Amino acid sequence: MSIAPKPTSALLIVGHGSTENPDSSTPYFDHADEIRRRGLFAEVHCCFWKEEPSMREAFYLLDSDDVYVVPDFISEGYFTQEVIPRELGLTGPSTEVRGKTFHYCLPVGVHSSMTDLILRRAKEVAPDIDPATTTLIITGHGTGLNQNSTKAIRDQVDQIIASGAGYASVIDAYMEEPPFIAEWDKLSHTPNVVIVPFFISDGLHSYQDIPVLIGIENAVGAAASHREVFRHNPHYVRGKTLYYTSAIGTERLLADVILDLVHDFDQLHKIL
Amino acid sequence: MSIAIQLRNLLRSGIHRIGELKLQTDVYGYPYLICHTADAELSTEPAFGGLEHHEGPTDARELSTYAEDGSYRFTKGQVNLKRGWVMTLENEEDLRLALDQFYPACVGLFLAQQGGTLEIETLRDKLNRQTGMYRFARSISDAGAQKLIQEVCGPAHQCAKKILWQLDAGIPLDDSEASRFNGIPGNLPEQEAIPLLCREACNHFVAECRKAAKAEFEAKSGKA
Repeated sequence: MSIAPKPTSALLIVGHGSTENPDSSTPYFDHADEIRRRGLFAEVHCCFWKEEPSMREAFYLLDSDDVYVVPDFISEGYFTQEVIPRELGLTGPSTEVRGKTFHYCLPVGVHSSMTDLILRRAKEVAPDIDPATTTLIITGHGTGLNQNSTKAIRDQVDQIIASGAGYASVIDAYMEEPPFIAEWDKLSHTPNVVIVPFFISDGLHSYQDIPVLIGIENAVGAAASHREVFRHNPHYVRGKTLYYTSAIGTERLLADVILDLVHDFDQLHKIL
Repeated sequence: MSIAIQLRNLLRSGIHRIGELKLQTDVYGYPYLICHTADAELSTEPAFGGLEHHEGPTDARELSTYAEDGSYRFTKGQVNLKRGWVMTLENEEDLRLALDQFYPACVGLFLAQQGGTLEIETLRDKLNRQTGMYRFARSISDAGAQKLIQEVCGPAHQCAKKILWQLDAGIPLDDSEASRFNGIPGNLPEQEAIPLLCREACNHFVAECRKAAKAEFEAKSGKA
């Protein structure tokens, strides 16, 4: 799907960011660079909750009076429904704030094209294994604070099962709520397991916390950017052959998902 | 007028510094050149005096993310920008993109301040919007927050931003080196630099508030 150029509009990509992990915001900037290269918008910027520029500072980055806001977040939940609208002053799909019109798109994680990205990543990490002997686990954070935070992952699981990709089993698992990713070996009944972290960045959770939980690291390691090589696959652990991929958000094609979301917004709200 | 064009005009009016960056125009045919201010002399020598040459704004994020010792520059106001490089830029749009990586939104913040449209938020407003593990930060006392500003902010503690915010409406910051700092490292005349402006407390400061608030709580409840 391609979108028509928007030479008078800005694209604002919103991410979480971190004051502790330098890799946390890398994918957002990569996605912005990729979209900027295509010359579709007058300007493309990033802003963050826990990093500079903040969402409230983002207003001062913008020249354009028409702004598309895409949450580069994995699920609809606390951040996309509460924090981002509050910080940017958004009250509906399109909101006028101090003379500029902000269009609020859905977060990347809920878009249907994420299914293809997950399957593509799973195939890349384990090209030679037979899906019929493999459990595919999509893993996320999970939190008791918001039921929606796991919905995006459960939806992806349903879509992958319906896609006929041929995996023996496709399941969801989480860091902080059941089913727990730490019990991946008990959740899977096949010799091969592929785990895809449904996170935007290879930050604290996907690169440092989960590897310890699933038993391929003994202790939380250095940030991804400080490793010479990405983890070697496969891992032979707990009697199974385990493949662990980098976070889904690091996929370069996520830039296309962001553009799809802008396109979908225009279609839904009849902006031509 | 776009931010980039206004930036061009600022340079024409004699601005040549932002934070630790030296901003130069027309160097060896390049419309714009930026480098660490300590490398300014080398940068105008043939072959940029041996400094690593980066063409275009793409590498600005990498250059601004890590200090010389490899540590993460968690806030871009830190005065530990890496040396040893120059970046040449073809136009003011690319210059602006690069500066927004080194000092996020700082050109736009300065222009808004000049135009009287910059909105400032108090520390209490910032803290009261924190949730999750940072919710506790809001319980810090005024005295604790005042003390923390003097221990965390200002160039003596690695941040070169000018603090614009108050503790709360009607509660200004106590006088200190941090609260007096004008956002221009290097004692340059104000008409020669774009100051780094702090319109809201940064997330590093929020994290420090949380630690201090917890210490206050534990002290009150008699825990060690």
